[in-house]
Amino acid sequence: MFVRLLSLGAISGALAGVASLVYQKVYTDSLGYDFSAIVSTPKIMMTCVAAGIVASIGFWALHKLLKSNTEIVFNLIFTILSFASILGPFKTKLPLDVEMPELFVGLTIPMHFFPVLGWLTLRPLFIKSKDL
Amino acid sequence: MKKLTFILATLLASAAVFAFAFTTEWKVGPKYNIAFSAGEVSGIFKTFTGSLFFDDKDLAGSKFNVSIDVNSINTGNGLQNKHAKDVDWFDAAKYPTITFASKKFAKTGAGYTVTGDLTLHGVKKEISIPFTFANNTFAGTFQVNRNDYKVGKPGGDVEDIVKLTVSVPVVKK
Repeated sequence: MFVRLLSLGAISGALAGVASLVYQKVYTDSLGYDFSAIVSTPKIMMTCVAAGIVASIGFWALHKLLKSNTEIVFNLIFTILSFASILGPFKTKLPLDVEMPELFVGLTIPMHFFPVLGWLTLRPLFIKSKDL
Repeated sequence: MKKLTFILATLLASAAVFAFAFTTEWKVGPKYNIAFSAGEVSGIFKTFTGSLFFDDKDLAGSKFNVSIDVNSINTGNGLQNKHAKDVDWFDAAKYPTITFASKKFAKTGAGYTVTGDLTLHGVKKEISIPFTFANNTFAGTFQVNRNDYKVGKPGGDVEDIVKLTVSVPVVKK
């Protein structure tokens, strides 16, 4: 199960990264302001994949502890952590040559929810409920 | 007696005009930096305009009249920028500019000092700003107590004493 969870984390993270890049492109094109120097493609991909893998390791560890209640507890924790993580963009201090830091949160906050969406959506493909 | 007064007034006016006319006028270059720092909060003002007449051989005829657009504040954080423009701090809607109008210049050991009126948040106070002028750049560092200008409440995360660093490259007009 651990290997399947790691695959789930990596693949859902990569897909979340792609979704974030698409969102970044749409955001940049519609608002005309580019943050790619700060939120670069490698940073986005690495962060999303890392989030997916950490989530998988967390799920595996939780399953060792809770067995049948893993799913509900994990989903709750992952969602709460995703919400909590949006404090990061609000507190981020950008370089002073960035003209419109006000637009930064609008770009990054939705991205914080893509890993959780990807992971929870793909989880049934990798781990069946009956396996838990 | 009237004639004498008229002649003296004309001479004085001519002297003032000539003194002003011979003082070099400088145009603000694009790469200026108006930075502030107050504990956890720091940033810049992006828009700075004004007229600068300065000649180290004619300090009496020198004059600074500058203005900073409060709405151009950038702390690097969107929420902080909004907060800084709010009524509690700069109240940018009511007081959109910070102005400085010089009254006198003096030569000091390291450079010069300009004394004038700083108007900030609707409060006008006389301050002295030490500065240097080298390589066509005015540069100076000075401190302002924000409580003197009723900017924000005393104490808190933003220090009462705000350090300002100014660097203004100029070209002859």
